[in-house]
Amino acid sequence: MMAKPRDGGVVLTFEAEEMAYLRAEVGRAAGHLDGGVPQHGADAVRDRLFPRAYVDPTEDRAERDFQSVVHEDLVLAKATSLGAITTALDGGRARRARTEVVVVKAELETWISGLNDVRLVLGTTLGVTEGDNDDEHEDADADEGGRDRPPVSIERAGYDWLTEVQGLLLAVLMGEA
Amino acid sequence: MARPLMIGAAPSTIEAPVEESLTGTDTPWLVIVWNDPVNLMPYVVFVFQKLFGYSLEKATRLMLEVHHDGKSVVSHGTREKAEIDVVRLHAHGLWATMERDRAS
Repeated sequence: MMAKPRDGGVVLTFEAEEMAYLRAEVGRAAGHLDGGVPQHGADAVRDRLFPRAYVDPTEDRAERDFQSVVHEDLVLAKATSLGAITTALDGGRARRARTEVVVVKAELETWISGLNDVRLVLGTTLGVTEGDNDDEHEDADADEGGRDRPPVSIERAGYDWLTEVQGLLLAVLMGEA
Repeated sequence: MARPLMIGAAPSTIEAPVEESLTGTDTPWLVIVWNDPVNLMPYVVFVFQKLFGYSLEKATRLMLEVHHDGKSVVSHGTREKAEIDVVRLHAHGLWATMERDRAS
């Protein structure tokens, strides 16, 4: 992927494989939005997308009320963000084997939020933990030329790539890119 | 429970909470954000600034508290206000809960 800031937004140029991967993961995340009000403890991914509000078990009734009231709006907000990414990908401009996708300034937050949900789904599925973040990989690379770096699965590499894309969009939003 | 808010079509459209004064009959509630290995640090800072209007310094301090201590109290108020804050944090993908302020 290449990125070029433009008018407060950014033009992302994706390889064909990157486009297909991003589209698939956005679709997969959207699939986790279905299923109605969450029954916590039944599905780790949905538990993470729609966490409990009340941790005190004596507040279970308030928790049920809370979820029943907010769930539909939460699903709509998340579906809208994911849908905006898919729409932007659909409107991408083909450049030989690559596709240019324009993320205008007004859409940056929507993309960042949608990508966050995609990463929450993937990170939960992969069991990403605090201890295996990118910084540690980078430290290993710097110290030992990456020789002792454990092999990274395709799924984890995809997650890391999504992290890179979200970080880039955040930098553009914050005026740092 | 009263309907806490209309989240809207996207997180950017979520309305800012209305500050409420606490009464003696409504024990203050704390809104807690928990550490999460997925959410990026700058993203968490951005969300704290956007939702609560915190300065970059305060938002960064709270984010680091979450990162190093595992959690941080990011807001407080009545039950209704806490629910509004929690759902807005959930809309942005942060792991947030609420509990009574036992110290009050």
